[in-house]
Amino acid sequence: MSLTNDFAIGFFTFFGIISIVAALFITRQKNVFYAAIGLVFVGISVAVMIALLNTSYSFYSVFHILLYVGSTVVFLAVSLVMFRGLDVKEIKVPWASLVALIVGVLIFLDLVVSFYSITPAAAISSFSLQTLANEILQNYWFPAIIIIIALLTTMIEAITLARRD
Amino acid sequence: MDALLSYYGLVIGVILGSIGIYGLLNSKNIVRILLSSEIIFNSAILLVFSASSLLGRTYLPIVFSIFAVSMGLVEVVVAFAAIILYYRNKNSLEVD
Repeated sequence: MSLTNDFAIGFFTFFGIISIVAALFITRQKNVFYAAIGLVFVGISVAVMIALLNTSYSFYSVFHILLYVGSTVVFLAVSLVMFRGLDVKEIKVPWASLVALIVGVLIFLDLVVSFYSITPAAAISSFSLQTLANEILQNYWFPAIIIIIALLTTMIEAITLARRD
Repeated sequence: MDALLSYYGLVIGVILGSIGIYGLLNSKNIVRILLSSEIIFNSAILLVFSASSLLGRTYLPIVFSIFAVSMGLVEVVVAFAAIILYYRNKNSLEVD
């Protein structure tokens, strides 16, 4: 295994640990503003891990940081400033960790069964923005229209909320 | 190496999903519930890319995730509008 591969595995493990720690921080933090900041670290770590999976996925990785981290999470964090009393009352649900563990094990077993007999692909075709655009416009035009309408209604909703009367 | 990273990605995705479900069940605060659902969303995206990397797909996960993130943005804005209305009515972020 070359040095570059070792670096990639090391980086992947590092950002995987960061994402898990940030996710635990979100679930344990009493102040939800800081929890929203933790979501930035989860988003960036996931984007880096996706980019490390394959260079063809780098385009989406940039998209994830720009749109998800840059707008969704920042919107959440900034909007939370409007509220007073952001501290969360701690509650203890004894069966929550058990249910989370069972669901995690079930998903893991499902993945093991699904991918056990599959031989990993040798290589992935290189990414082309033109092919992606053709793919969306020819095969996925209907979901694209739905997304456009949904974003438009979101904009109308934001304007309605911003008006005080 | 790609296959090894993909397997790592699947494991990390499952762990993130479990943490998100734990946060979802273990909180009464409406904002933390939203944040926990965002952790699950991130884990789902990571699982999709890891699985697609194993299967050798290039464009399918990218198209799927672009649509998912756009809908996620819409979902967050709509959920936040509901939270603002809830806070105006109840003057609290705790759910019963």
